[in-house]
Amino acid sequence: MIVRINVARVLREALATPYRILVTRATGALVRDRIELKLTQYNCHAAVLDFREVDLLDLSCADEVVAKLLRSGQAKFVAIAGLHEDLREQVHEVLEPQHLAVTVVNDDAAPELLGSVSEDSRLAFLELQAAGGTGEELARRLDWPAERAASALEALAAQRLVRHDDDGFTLIPFA
Amino acid sequence: MSRIVDIPAQFDDRGFEQFVAGIGAWPPEERLFLDARGVQWSTPSSILGLLTAGQSIREDKGEKPLLAIPANDDVRSYWSRMRFFEHAADLFELHGKLPRPHRGARHSDTLLEITPVRASEDVHDVVGGIQEGAQRILTGELGLEAKATMGFAMALSESCQNIVEHAGTGGWVAVQTYHYRRRLGRRVAVIAVSDAGVGFRRSLEATQAKRFGDRWRDGTALEAALVQGVSRFRDPGRGQGFAGIKRYLQRWNGKISVRSGTARLAIVPTWDDDVPLVENLCFFPGSQLQVTIPSEDTAAE
Repeated sequence: MIVRINVARVLREALATPYRILVTRATGALVRDRIELKLTQYNCHAAVLDFREVDLLDLSCADEVVAKLLRSGQAKFVAIAGLHEDLREQVHEVLEPQHLAVTVVNDDAAPELLGSVSEDSRLAFLELQAAGGTGEELARRLDWPAERAASALEALAAQRLVRHDDDGFTLIPFA
Repeated sequence: MSRIVDIPAQFDDRGFEQFVAGIGAWPPEERLFLDARGVQWSTPSSILGLLTAGQSIREDKGEKPLLAIPANDDVRSYWSRMRFFEHAADLFELHGKLPRPHRGARHSDTLLEITPVRASEDVHDVVGGIQEGAQRILTGELGLEAKATMGFAMALSESCQNIVEHAGTGGWVAVQTYHYRRRLGRRVAVIAVSDAGVGFRRSLEATQAKRFGDRWRDGTALEAALVQGVSRFRDPGRGQGFAGIKRYLQRWNGKISVRSGTARLAIVPTWDDDVPLVENLCFFPGSQLQVTIPSEDTAAE
């Protein structure tokens, strides 16, 4: 099950504030706690954090909400949606030095990756998105040795950006 | 017995150092008589520093200092509309003709009057409250792109959080634009933050002092925090606040300076001739941070 969480609504539940801004570590920790509670209640393995109604996000709060949620493993797979350009930058700056990455789900474009992702993993993700297939097929299409494709896909799986099961590597159907 | 400390006519960064030197050892042994009658011009940072002196003396259970307020009408009026006197009344015995409390609309050069910061909720209110005004000032007055506003709010938030996270006591913040004649000759937006807390050296001591050995002092603590992004917390996500502020300042050609204890460290853009690191200053409690964003014609240089 994939749950979609409106982060601005969680903020309103957590804090009596007229502002739709996610700032400070304390606020971030409150919001993350509530998100984790929802994930436990719904017993879901994947979550989309929807930032659509959030006007501002500072680095401390981005670390508390996004980076710590990714590190906690509370939801096996996490994506974010509704991020406007400036907020994307904050999330990227928080994830990058911690070697974390997250899938960004867009309304009008294909999902993309944000944070610390190697170029090979990024290309493998795009290729998987375009045509799916096994590691061997992906290697053939990208004209890579099989080991290179396998290594890129395994890195994506280790960062929980794709799923790896008996059928091979697949994208998480967030959208 | 009280000790008279003159507050210089030009109460800017340099004037503030003269003021601190005038106080001498900290905490002061005698009651202070702070004489601001001759002040002709002051910056938001320097008047926040004045409040911090009063706050620190009160927290050290010292005798309430006397403060003779500026004689100059413009300065008095400026301190009034920045709400200096409202906060100073608790910390000083005020002498001189106090202007009537400023009740009118916020002056166009003021984005945020002097506001106490004690807890995370205060930071929320400060940042939320300036959003619209920041857009007007940064894009309208300074001619910066709209996206500069988001980074400005982030820099304000992270600056204020230093108080909540590290100072161990409350502090103050103010945001203003003014014409920066001395070095730049252009308009700037300034975030000024000051607290009377433990300062960078003591905040980082437990985790960093050993690494620096004999070199551990206020200057190295500032370098560790501001240049190396070190935090007293071992959490891997920590220490990013200053990194974020620096990235923002790099993009908009801004400046940051932080004074703590006996040192002052600045990341100096090309338009400024400040010294990156000054050590062996007279001690002043807590930390004083200043972020300066110049107008677009400077940012493009």
